[in-house]
Amino acid sequence: MSKNRKIPKVGIGGPVGSGKTRLIERIVPVLIEKGYRCCIISNDVISKEDAERMQRVLSTELKVMPENMIIGIATGGCPHTAIREDPTINLAVIDEIEKKDPSLDLIIIESGGDNVMTTFSPALADYFIYIVDVAGGDKYPRKGGLGIESSDLLVINKIDLASHVGADISIMKRDAQKIREGKPFVFVNCQTGEGIEYVAENIIKSILFDKKTIAKKDRIR
Amino acid sequence: MNTDHEFFLMQLADSFFPSGMFGMSNGLESLVKHQRIRNDKDVTSFIERQIEFQLVPCDCMIFLAAINAIENKNIEELVEIDNRFYTMRLIKEVRNASVRSGSQILNCVIQMASDKKENIIAKQFQKKILSNKTPGTHPVCYAMAANLFGIPPESGIRMMLYSFSQNIIAAAIRLGIIDHISGQKILTLLSVKINSISKNIEKESLDNIWQLTPLTDIFQMIHEHDSSKMFIT
Repeated sequence: MSKNRKIPKVGIGGPVGSGKTRLIERIVPVLIEKGYRCCIISNDVISKEDAERMQRVLSTELKVMPENMIIGIATGGCPHTAIREDPTINLAVIDEIEKKDPSLDLIIIESGGDNVMTTFSPALADYFIYIVDVAGGDKYPRKGGLGIESSDLLVINKIDLASHVGADISIMKRDAQKIREGKPFVFVNCQTGEGIEYVAENIIKSILFDKKTIAKKDRIR
Repeated sequence: MNTDHEFFLMQLADSFFPSGMFGMSNGLESLVKHQRIRNDKDVTSFIERQIEFQLVPCDCMIFLAAINAIENKNIEELVEIDNRFYTMRLIKEVRNASVRSGSQILNCVIQMASDKKENIIAKQFQKKILSNKTPGTHPVCYAMAANLFGIPPESGIRMMLYSFSQNIIAAAIRLGIIDHISGQKILTLLSVKINSISKNIEKESLDNIWQLTPLTDIFQMIHEHDSSKMFIT
């Protein structure tokens, strides 16, 4: 609704426990380091737990952004509705942010934990990252679903756990290449930071229109 | 009798219409959590009480007053009505939810009805919201939507009461205290009351608008401070 400048928006969706919050905690400092100012909207099914955690990590501990730039939204038990069928409340909050601080470079919207059919309304997100983790099994990419197939970037997290849960990374890589038909995907480890630079650079290149080169070491394995 | 508006009535009253209401329980979540509401009977009486002491004397009156101001193309009066309703919402969480839902409904219907001449006053009102002259509350924006699509006031009231009731019932189902059949039975039961109110409701002056739901208000305040919740209100 706002006639102010429209701020680019990244939607991050994925199942419960796949690492959406941790991914944001990792990419935001990288983006801020590169000079981009961010705001985060965290949709949560049953609490504002994720928003409060990010406030603690990004504002209190790392001091990279003010607490009021991390906003929690309860989703009435319907995480997919809040980001797709009826994104009204998210859009209203975005209007408020755009009115309050039109100089922001990026708004990151974290969905509540949902299933493989998660997608973001085009009215809500300009760029969609879908995250899964290896603990769900190496069948994950092969099974497909809107998130895995149609997202702008598929992130496969917790690669350090693969050997412990019997997941074969090479199978996940083969299936992801096949099902995504050339669209990018990346293996990451949010604990160590491996692959995070690639995610940040993709966001910058895709919607912030910075043509910086993606670090070769972080390219798809 | 021209019944073309009935299509839009269904469209606007449909839970698929993007109003953000699916994320609101209007106090039900907190009342359920504290075991004040436990079953289908409690849900029915909660909806009836809210209709009698909140929606009919306040929200519906605001809706009718707004319809009147829109028909008279009186934007200043519309702003006064909107601000009056805003100040009557005592709980911040509820106030914010009303404004967020209202402004987005208005934005949606303006785009839906871009070819209608009635869109002029809707756009004027939206400008007032954008310039912080008025908040853009839910019943006022709902009135704007009704006007844009030629929905008569009686049907508009029915639409408001139906939407409110089905929203509470949907929340009750999600909270696990009733099942889907009970939900439909409650709606059917409420239809008698809602139809009667819609036919007989009369507009009151702004000074005669009131509301009295202290128990719900208190539990909505508690809800504001809850660390774990599914719903926005």
